[in-house]
Amino acid sequence: MDELNWKELEQIPIPEGLEDRLSAKIDEWERAEQQKKARRLMLPRVVRYTSIAACIALVFGVGYYFLQKEEAVNLAEQDTYQDPVVAQQEAEKALNLLAYNLNKGMGQMEKAKAISDRTEMTLNKQLQVLEK
Amino acid sequence: MKTTVKIILCVAMLMASVTTNAQVKAFEKYADTKNVTYVYISKFMLRMVDASSAPSVPGVNTQSLMKKLNGIQIISSDNKNAIVRLKADAQSIVKQGKYELLMQMDEDGEKVRIYHSEGKQQSVVVMMADEGDEFTVIVFSGTFTMEDVMKMTQ
Repeated sequence: MDELNWKELEQIPIPEGLEDRLSAKIDEWERAEQQKKARRLMLPRVVRYTSIAACIALVFGVGYYFLQKEEAVNLAEQDTYQDPVVAQQEAEKALNLLAYNLNKGMGQMEKAKAISDRTEMTLNKQLQVLEK
Repeated sequence: MKTTVKIILCVAMLMASVTTNAQVKAFEKYADTKNVTYVYISKFMLRMVDASSAPSVPGVNTQSLMKKLNGIQIISSDNKNAIVRLKADAQSIVKQGKYELLMQMDEDGEKVRIYHSEGKQQSVVVMMADEGDEFTVIVFSGTFTMEDVMKMTQ
């Protein structure tokens, strides 16, 4: 059956120019395929270049940020007083202020403690009287 | 899994070191702020003068603490707008850092708050004095303990 079909098919006359048209069509498909491939290759290349550019921008950005920060820190870490005696006096003034406030607070605490002690003593006396 | 744990540990250690360092750095932004006076006295300056000099206030021994200080920052302002900003910032810095309230005093319209933070590398005492029309923050940083601070009250 297959043999018969083949034989019949072989007997059908080939239209003129069919081979040329077919090869032209195949060439067209091939070109289209190549263009697709090129487009597919283009995308990763764009992504690659973009990521490189982003990395460079990031490095410069971070570097610039730290440089700016360093400048600000340097300004803050510069001694306000060039004269060590004046610096010492200012430092002592600050420490004395801290000591003064701490002493004030502790003084209040001692006052409160004295009142508490007195109250406790009175209470104990009263309890002793009641026990008798 | 192990790698993840290692990465987490590294990040945690990095964050811890940044936090410790950030304690005093946080106040450095006032070095260039309008209407705010920023004074910084470095460790170098504190060591330059002979520590054996007599105390300026009789009975108060500041020298023992002075020797252990790494720096003093004094930030003050008498400008209304700057005071509002400075107060808010100082409070937020103290809240964000691991500071504990050491003492609080409200007397004759003056409010004083003393905070402290003790670390292995650095200890910090922050004193905020609010006199209504003037606000001052003093930051003492160094390698001292609370005992060294309390010695000044004896």
